[in-house]
Parts: sequence; structure tokens; C-alpha cells
Amino acid sequence: MSSLLALSSPMLSHYLLTGAVLFVLGLIGFVSRRNLIVMFLCTEMMFQGVVVTLVAFSAFHGNFTGQTFVIFVLTIAAAEAALALGLVVLLFRRKQTLDASAWSSMRG
Amino acid sequence: MDPAWIISLQLYLPVLFAAGLLLPIPALSERKVAWIYSATTSCISLLMTCVVFWAFDWSQPHVMQLSAEVPWLPQFGLTFQFGVDGVSIWLVGLATFLMPVVVLGSLLEVDHDMRAFHFWLHILEACLIGTFIARDVLMFYACFEFSLIPLLFLIGMFGHKNKLKAAKVYFYYSFTGSVFLLAGILYVAWFHFNQTGEWNFEIVALIESGQAMSVTEQCWVLASFLAAFAIKTPMWPFHTWLPLAHTEAPTAGSVDLAGLVLKLGPYGLLRIAIPLAPAAAALFAPYLGVFAVLGVIVTALICWVQTDAKKLIAYSSVSHMGFVMLGLFAFDGGDIGATGAMYYLIAHGLASGGLFLCLGMLYDRFHTRDLREMGGLAKEMPMWSFFFILFALAAVGLPGLNGFVGEFLTMMGTANSPDGVLGWSFAVAAASGVILAAIYMLYCVGRLCFGPLKLPEYVPQKEVFEAAISKRTFHGMSRREVMTVGPISVACVVLGLYPTPMLSSMEPVVQANTAAVKAEIAKLHGSPEAEVEVAEFDTSGMEVSKQRLYNMDLMVEPIAGRDVRAEIKQAFGTGSISYSGSADISGLIAEVAAEYQAEREAAQ
Amino acid sequence: MGNLAVILIPWLPALAALLIAVIALKDKLQKLAAPICAGAVGASFVIAMIVWMNLGGPETVDFYNWIAFGDFRLGMSYFLDPLTMVMLGVVCGVGCLIAIYATGYMKGDPGYWRFFTYVALFIFSMTTLVMADNLVLLFLGWEGVGACSYLLIGYYYDKPFAVSAAKKAFIVNRVGDFGFLLGIFLCYQRYDTVQLSVMLEAARHNVEMLAAGAYNPTAADLWIPFLLMVGAFGKSAQIPLYVWLPDAMAGPTPVSALVHAATMVTAGVYLIARCIPLFELSPAALPTVAVVGGCTALFAATIALCCNDLKGVFAYSTVSQLGYMFVGVGALSTDGAVFHLFTHAFFKALLFLTAGSVMHALAGQLDIRTMSGLRHKMPVTCWLMFVGCLSLAGFPFITAGFWSKDLILGDALAYGLDHNQLYLFVTLLGVITAFLTAFYTFRLWFTVFMGEEKFEMGDEHHHEEETHAEGDEEHDHDDHHAHEPHEMPWLPMNAPLVVLAIGAIIFGVLGYKLHWFENIIGYSTANPVTVPVLDLAHHGDAHGDKVHHTYIMGMDPHNFMIILSSILAVAGIALAAFFFWINRPLTASLAKTFTPIVKLLENKYYIDELYDWMFVQPLKRAGGLFYVVDAMIINGLVAFVAWIPAMIGRGVRPAQSGRLQGYGLGMVMGVAIFALLIFMAVNR
Repeated sequence: MSSLLALSSPMLSHYLLTGAVLFVLGLIGFVSRRNLIVMFLCTEMMFQGVVVTLVAFSAFHGNFTGQTFVIFVLTIAAAEAALALGLVVLLFRRKQTLDASAWSSMRG
Repeated sequence: MDPAWIISLQLYLPVLFAAGLLLPIPALSERKVAWIYSATTSCISLLMTCVVFWAFDWSQPHVMQLSAEVPWLPQFGLTFQFGVDGVSIWLVGLATFLMPVVVLGSLLEVDHDMRAFHFWLHILEACLIGTFIARDVLMFYACFEFSLIPLLFLIGMFGHKNKLKAAKVYFYYSFTGSVFLLAGILYVAWFHFNQTGEWNFEIVALIESGQAMSVTEQCWVLASFLAAFAIKTPMWPFHTWLPLAHTEAPTAGSVDLAGLVLKLGPYGLLRIAIPLAPAAAALFAPYLGVFAVLGVIVTALICWVQTDAKKLIAYSSVSHMGFVMLGLFAFDGGDIGATGAMYYLIAHGLASGGLFLCLGMLYDRFHTRDLREMGGLAKEMPMWSFFFILFALAAVGLPGLNGFVGEFLTMMGTANSPDGVLGWSFAVAAASGVILAAIYMLYCVGRLCFGPLKLPEYVPQKEVFEAAISKRTFHGMSRREVMTVGPISVACVVLGLYPTPMLSSMEPVVQANTAAVKAEIAKLHGSPEAEVEVAEFDTSGMEVSKQRLYNMDLMVEPIAGRDVRAEIKQAFGTGSISYSGSADISGLIAEVAAEYQAEREAAQ
Repeated sequence: MGNLAVILIPWLPALAALLIAVIALKDKLQKLAAPICAGAVGASFVIAMIVWMNLGGPETVDFYNWIAFGDFRLGMSYFLDPLTMVMLGVVCGVGCLIAIYATGYMKGDPGYWRFFTYVALFIFSMTTLVMADNLVLLFLGWEGVGACSYLLIGYYYDKPFAVSAAKKAFIVNRVGDFGFLLGIFLCYQRYDTVQLSVMLEAARHNVEMLAAGAYNPTAADLWIPFLLMVGAFGKSAQIPLYVWLPDAMAGPTPVSALVHAATMVTAGVYLIARCIPLFELSPAALPTVAVVGGCTALFAATIALCCNDLKGVFAYSTVSQLGYMFVGVGALSTDGAVFHLFTHAFFKALLFLTAGSVMHALAGQLDIRTMSGLRHKMPVTCWLMFVGCLSLAGFPFITAGFWSKDLILGDALAYGLDHNQLYLFVTLLGVITAFLTAFYTFRLWFTVFMGEEKFEMGDEHHHEEETHAEGDEEHDHDDHHAHEPHEMPWLPMNAPLVVLAIGAIIFGVLGYKLHWFENIIGYSTANPVTVPVLDLAHHGDAHGDKVHHTYIMGMDPHNFMIILSSILAVAGIALAAFFFWINRPLTASLAKTFTPIVKLLENKYYIDELYDWMFVQPLKRAGGLFYVVDAMIINGLVAFVAWIPAMIGRGVRPAQSGRLQGYGLGMVMGVAIFALLIFMAVNR
């Protein structure tokens, strides 16, 4: 791992590491924060981590499969963002708060 | 018509008719219209059955006939295959015969969700037919399992006070058993795959490859099948769902439950479980026999203390099914027990169906089933009493009516059962059930039909009252009601006086399915078909190597002055000898063989 | 043609029953029920007699395959031999006479057609029983007569007593059938068939071998007779299964005469007589039959002594007379048993029907304590019943009952002297019974018909009253409510009685002196093979021509018995005349002195109560207990099994926190563990 970091020109592993860091950051944010909007943004961040990974592999393998996927993912993420934000607004209107713990009626 | 089409139509027609009820025609929601629709369509199904009976080749009932195949996922060996043989054709006949009867009988009782009621009735009919005509385990399992759902709705939507609980208990109980059945089926299929390298779910193929299963494997397979079938039958002590379901179900549900659904268990045992695991069946038989006998006696006694007429009949079904299980696991030489058990399925379906219909008519009138609230109905409703007593006598096993033939043959089979399987102690215990049956049935008849007239205080709704006791009444019954139970009563008498056609078409099928078990029993207990090695006494020029010996009273030596030695000696010459009984004659054979050899040598 | 005729004998009444049931749907046609029934039964009788005349030897007639599959075959087949024909004569002949009588007796009853349907069905079952070629078909008739008896006893179904009597009859009979069924199974195992002609042939062969000392009976041989015996005891009301017959008198009187005196109850005797070779194979079987028969005869006679019910006396006397018949078959005197069966059918039917006339005249009154001196009101009935009573009491030389009873007792005595001393005891029982019979029979007759005139009309519970209440316009018994008993009309009621009375007289001498029944039995399966089964030391052919080796007091046992029982019968009648005609006050005071005994007898030794306490209540309690076990324990176990998954669910429920983050964390950790596992697997 340390030897990889020592290299000057960016290689596959650097991109992968970036993707992983992005993903984990998003994950930590999703788990630790209670604000619905922040949680949503964190999931977007996890998406970006995956996207970076995909692009990196695409470049590494020299084909477009990964990049094609990225286009799909981004499109869906955009659509999903529109929906999810709308839902968040609805939830906010119901309880006048963005705290996720306010919604726990599914408790067993 | 292509024979395959006949049986396919028989299966699909009820489904089509059920689908017809979903058409957006408002009139179909009306009681009368839905009723007439359903009565007509079920009669068409019955006519279709007549076609099946006509197309069936009665000279070879043991062959699966009118076969049809519907590929599903052929690459995995998933093909729905169906056809009928000498046993299943009668059960299909019973299913389609009871259907119009049930529809006729439930005009008054069901007064809401008419479409749903008749829809589920038709679906139930299709499931039952599907189970009876299945030639592969998957189709069998699918239909067996799916039959839960129509009954769940019939009980849960149209039942009485405790309907939801009854529906739930019935569903969970049966479903739990079926899970084991699925596991068993998958294991057997996987075993077949290992043996032959291809997937196939056809019952015959599975049985063939299943011969290689070890006894332990067989025991597990049989146990898993029994879990489903013993619950469905129901066999004591797995019966507690039945009284509840029967009491809460509408008349139609009760009749279908008692008349048909209970039959799936013994049918499945005979068709799949017993031939698949013959060694295990031979081992299990005495224990199952104990449960069956206990069921016969205990539930009969329970019947006697019931005050709810429907519960009484429900418990009596458990008692009667005990006879069926006894006969099924008797494995006697002539297949009297198992044939009788299959016959008893039909007989019980008719008699208890008739009883439930009669009780349903009472419920239509008085909205009660409590034996203490009614009495002396023979005076007000003589016609009804006639039918009720007839069915009660059929259930009691009066010779000349259908119940007797089944009861008699199953008990006879039990008595003739080889040593170590069932036997006299079981027959004696079962026969005491005959006394108890008389006690509780006559108790019920005596309470309902005889004694001083006593009517419950319930005043029927105007509509119900008019329909039931209007000027159209016929000695206490309406024409519709007479038409409901009339055919069943005729069937009871006809089958009681002339059961031969049914029995003789069932027997070859039964024999084919129990042959393997009987061979296993011979291996286990040495009788009645003992294989005695005579090869080591073989002398030159004799082609006898291994003789199958059966059917001779050798153990009673002086009987009718038979000379056993001479007969054995002769057998060495002709190559055939028959022997039955528990006595070991291999020593005698050795002795005679030596003698024979000496004689031959002397002659040469 | 011949076969068709045979088949018609049972099936004509069956068709008649069906026809009556169908036409009864139209109210107007209901009165045709009686002629159809009587006509069909009469036709069966005529056909049976014609068939008998043309019958060469034993013959089997196949109708169709009843239960047949594989190697198993039970035919709807009929076996004809002289024994069958005698039984057919009794069943159809007496049945026809009783049906004619019932035409008048049942007139105006609301269930008129129902009665005749049952009677026709009964005749079908009974003829099937006596004609059956295999045991299972015999069992069909056996159960069929049981069911008809159930329906006929419970004919007045709104009377609770009748209903419970009917139930009792059926259930007690079922106890017998339990044994019979097992006997059939054992027969099948032993002989590979239940066809009587084949089976009995084999058994006969074995008996011959046994007599020659060349055969050792198997366990099945020893058991079969005892199982069949249980059935016979149930149907023929012997100890311990006799309790149903006295109660069965709740049915209409013609039924008591037909079913519970003349025909159905003799089925057990018929069964044993028919299967006598099977019984001879088991050394203990026939002595058991004889002892049970003897004890029943005496036991029932003592109860009849104090019975105050007109029909009850005859019911107990029927039990007692059936005991004689069992003594007969038990002593290998099948001819005596069948002879007595034959004569008993006549005089007992006569007695019941005359009793029915009395009852009819007194609007259902049955208590003989309320009757006295009816001879003036009903002279014909009085003297007809006198004839019947003479025959039942065994009045010497002129009555049929005398001769047939003496044949049995004489044979039993001879058997006891020659072979087995146990039979001397049985004979003693029979002799005491003979005396008691004469006494109680005439107790009844003198009480009812002699002395000063006195009677009370019956209560309103009787069916005649209901008939009036129902307002049936057509009946012609308007004088029922008159307070005067009256004689019955000659037709259709008294004329058949006269025929029966003639039968009750003439058949005795004819039967005894012409050896009718010996000849009949000689050509049937009921012919005992050889006497000394029970005592292999003696091989004499003692039976065939009634020559016995041992003499008693210098006389042939039969002659000795004739003299002895003549004396006893006359003495019994004289004693009865003294107590119940000449000196009634003395009787009353005597009865007071012996109150405990009278009480014991009037309560029939409390046997019903004993059975209730011993069998009925424990079983019912067991039923209640099992029901509780079923509901609590078995259902509880099921509920427990269902409770386990519920509990597991409850245990893991907190994991479902409802928090989004919680689920997220869980998912992440799951993925992490999964990834770790893969990592470890790859790097192994």
C-alpha cells in the first residue's frame, strides 16, 4: 500500500483508493448523521465513490463498459435525487423536522 | 377427440368456469344467477367426467390412460403430466359428482360475495382433480398445496362464528406438513438426478430410481411424506384441526373437506409414498397401525359426548379414516386391505358428505347444530329423516350400503396382514370400533330424528323460511334439497350392492403400488412369500435355482392329508412350489432335496 | 327360470319395499301398502314352496358378483338345501300371515306405509340371511334384519322408551356382530373362502378325520365357533346379550311376533345349525352353547314368573325358548333345534298376535294386573291364546311345543348319558324350565281370561289414541273409545290366527312321528357329522336313528323325557290354575311374604342397571375424558409447537429498531463480514 502511494504518476490503485475513501466517507455520514438531507447527500457520495471506481476500471481495461455504467448510474441518480428530495420535503411537511429518528414506526 | 384432450379439459374446465365468474357482468353477483351459473358449469364438468369414464379402457385399469403432458421448464425436467388409472378415475368422479351437489346445497346458506364463493369452489374442484390425475410429483405437490387456498377462503369468508381462527389453524397446520412433503420430494428428485444424471419428476421414474435408496433414506422420505399426508388424512393425533375446520366451515366447505380433501392423504400415500419407500413402509406399518386403531376407538368415544352435530360427524370422519389407514398399511397377500381402503375413500366421501348436507339443511332452517335443542324431526321432516338415517346407517357400516364394504375389507385386510405388520390384535380393536360407531351414530340419529318433537326457538328469516318450507316442500324438504341428497343416497345404495366394478378396477392399481412393500415384508419377516434358497440342493438336470414359494398350508401338516414331502419332491421336478405361513420349511426342503438327489443317483 | 325363481324369493319383498316407499309419496295410494307387502311375502312363500318341491339336492344359485376383485370373490349367491327351505317356509309363511294380521292391526296408524316398508325390507333381509351362500352375504341379512328391527322397535319414535329400546337392540346386536365379523375373518384365513358350501365341506372332512383321530384342530378351528357364537348369542338374545329383547317389545305387536319371536331371533340358532361342522371341530364349543342355552332358558323363565307386562311375559318366554334351541344345537340335536324353531314360530307368533288383539281391544293396556275375566268379551282371542299357551307350556301329546321340546331334552339327556355328563346338568335346567314355563304361561292366561270381569283401558300415550288425535278420517275403529273391549274381526285379524293355531297343534305329532326334521337335517349342512367329538372314547352312531346305548330307569331317554315333562307340564298348569284362578287372594298374600324375591324378579335381577354401571357409564366417561385430552393435551401440544416460532420471533424483534441508520449499519456490517469471509477464503 505504501509503495503504491510513493509512485508519482497516478495509477489504478490511486483511483480505487479515492473511490473507496469517498464511499466510506459517505457511509460514515449516512450512519452517523440524522438529518434526512445530509443522509441523502451521503448516499450520493457513496454513489460517486462507486462511479470513480467504475471509471478507473474502464480506463484500466481499455473498454467502455464501466463508463457506460457510469452514465446509467448518473442518470438514475439524478432521477432519484429529484424523487428523494421530493419525498424528504413531504416528510418534513408531516412532522416539521428533518430528523430521521422521528420516523420509526416500523419498529418491531 | 384426442384422449389427452379429454383429461386436459377435465382439469381446465373448472378453471375456465371460475374465470367466467370474474367477467364484468353485474348480474353474476346476484345469489340466484351465480348459483344457476355454478350449478350449470359444475354439471358440465360432471358430463366431462362421464366422457372420461367412457374413454377409459376398463380392461387395463392399472395403466395410466388418457395421458397428457404440458412442458413447463423442460430443461429441468419440469413437465406437468397427467392421466388417470383405476383408482384416480373414481376419485375424479367423486370430485365432479360432489361439486353440483355442493352447489345445490348451498343456495340458502351463502348470502354474500357470491362470485367469490363459487369462484373458489370451482378452483377447489380443479385443484382436487389436478391432484388426483397428477403423474408427476411436482404437479401433485402444486395442486395438493394449492387446494389449501380455496378452502382457506371458503372457511374464512363464508364460515360461522370462529371462521378466521378455523381457517388459520387449517392453513398453518396443513402448510407445515406440506413443507416436509416438498423437502421429501426434492430429496427424491435429487436422488434420481444422482442416479441417472437428469432431472425428472415423473412418479414412476422416481419410484424406479428410488429402489436404490437405503432403508434409512427411505425412512426419512416416508416420514416427510407422512408429515403432510397424516395431517391431511387426518390421522390421530394430528387431527385437531379437523373438528374446528368442519364446525366453522359452511356446508359446502365441510362436504368438500370431508368428501374430497381428506382423500388426498391416503391417495398420496398409496400413489407416491408407499411405492417410493417400501422398506420404510414395512417398518412403519405396525406403528401407524397403532395410531390408526387408537384413532378409531378414541375418536369414536369422543363422538359420543358431542353436542354439536357437525363436530360429531367431523370426529367420526377421523374415526373412519383410521380404518382407511389400517387397510392401507395391512399389506395382506390379496391386497384386500388397501383396495378396501381406496374404496372406503369413495364410500366415506359419499356418506359423510350426505350427513353434512343434511346438517346444513337443518342449519338453514334453525340456525343451530346443537343436538340438545332439536328432536323428533321425523315427524315434521320425514323425508329429511329418511336421508339422514340412510347416511347414518351407511356411515355405521350397514351391509348393503357402501360403508360396510370398505369397513369390512379394511378390517379383513388387517386380519390377514402378514406377521409382524398388522394382524389380529389390530383387527379386534378395529372391530370394536364398529360397536362404537353404532353407539354414537344412533345417539345422533336418536337425538335428531326420534323422540318427542322439539324445535329450536329460532325464527327463520322470511326468505329462508319460504324457500325451505314453502308449498313446494316435499315431506319437509324442498325439491332442491331432495335433488341435493337424492343422488348421493342412490350412489350409497348402488355402491353398497354392487361395488365390484369399482373394486376390480382399483385392485390392479393397488397391487402394483404395494408389490414392492410386500416383497420387503417377505424379506423382513419371512412370510407370506418366503424366498427359500434351494440352489444349494440343486442337482444336475434341474433348472430350479431359486424358488418363489407361496400359498400352501404347509405348517398345518395333516390338513386334508397333504403329503408335504411328496409335494416338495414333485416341485423339484416341475420347478414350482407354493408355500405360505410362518413355518420355516427350508430344513425340510434340504432333507427332501438330499433324498431326491440320492434317488436320482440311484436311478442313474 | 328356476334360478330366477330363487332370486325372486328375497328380491320380491325388496322390490315391494321400494314400491311402497315410492307410492307412499302420494297420500291416496298409501293404503295399498299392506296388500303389496303381504302379497309380495306371500308370493315369496309360494315360490319358495315350489322351489322346494323341485329341489333335488343342495344347490347353489348365483345372482351376480357382489364384492369381487382379484382373487377375492363374494357372490350374491344363494344356497338351497332343506334347512334353508324350512327357514324360508317359516319366514315367508308366518311373515305373510302376520302381514295380513297387521293389515288390520295397523289400520289408521299414521305410519301405515312406513310399517309395511320396514316389514318388506325385513323379509328381504331375513330371506337373504337364510339363503346366503357365503358368510358375508349371511352377514348382510344378519345386519339387515338388525337394522329393520331397529326401525321397527323405534316405530313409535315419539316415545322415548321406544327410541332407547331400539338403540339398545341395535347396539347389543352390534356387540354380537363384532364377534361374528371376526369369526368371518378367521374363517377366511382358515379356509381361504367364506363360501358356506365349500367351507363346510372342508370342515366336515376335518371332523371326520378328527373322529378318526387323524386330525389335530388348529387354533383357528378352536376360535371360529366361539366368535360365531358371540354373534349368535347377540342375535338370539342369550346370556349375556339377552337384555335387548324384552325392551324390543316397544315396537308394534305384529313386529314382536314376526321379528322378535318367530324369525329374526332364531337367526342365531340357524347360524349354529348351519355351521355345525365348524362347531364340532372345537371340543369346548358345543358344551358352551348348551350350557349358555340351558342357563338362559331357566334365567328368563324365572323373570317371566313375576313379569306383569302382557308382552313382557312372552318376550322372556321367547328368550327362554331360544335357550332350548341352543341346548338342542349344543347337544348336536340340530333336528330338535330346528323342529322347535319351527313350532315355536307358530305358537309364539300366535301368542303375540292374540296378545296384540287384547292390547288393541284395551287401547294399549299391557299391565296384566288390570285385566281379568276377559273371556266373555273376547272369546275367540281367549281360546286362540289358550291353544298357544298349551303349546308353549308343552301340554302333553296334542301340542307341537310338547313334541319339539321333548326331542331336544330327550336328545340332550341321551347325550348326557352316553357321552358327557355336563349335558345331564343342562337337561336338568331344561326340565325345571319346562315346569316354570307351564306355570307362568298359564299364570298369564288364567289372570287375563278367567275370574271376574275387570279391565282398565290404556292411557292416551298409546298409538291408537294418537291416531284419533291425528284425525285420520278413514279408519273404522271408531269404537275404540267405547269403554268396552271387543272381539277382533275375522278378516284380516282372526283368520291368520286360526291358521297359526292349527300349525301350533298339528306340526308336533307330524314332525315327531314322521321324523320330518331328521330327514330335512339329514340332507343339509346342519347334519352333525359324528357324535363323539366331545368324548372321543365313544364312537357309536348314537344319533342317526335315535337309538341310544344307555337307558334310564329301563326306558329310552326320549320316552323317559316324554313322561317326565308331561307330568311337569300338567302340574305347572294345575298349579297356575290354583294360584291365579281358583285362589287368587292366597297368591296375593304369598307375594307379600316373598316381597324381596318378587322385587328382584320384577326388576329383572337389576341386570340393566348392572350393565349400565359396568359398560355404558365407564365408556361414556372415557369419551368425555378423551374429549378433554383431545382439546387440552393434543391441541395443547399443537399450540405449543406453533408457539415456538412465535417466541423466536419475539426474541429477535428488537433487531428491527425502526431506525434508518440502524438498518444501514446492519447492512454495512453484513457486507463487511461477507467481504472479510471472501477475503479470507481467497487468501487461504
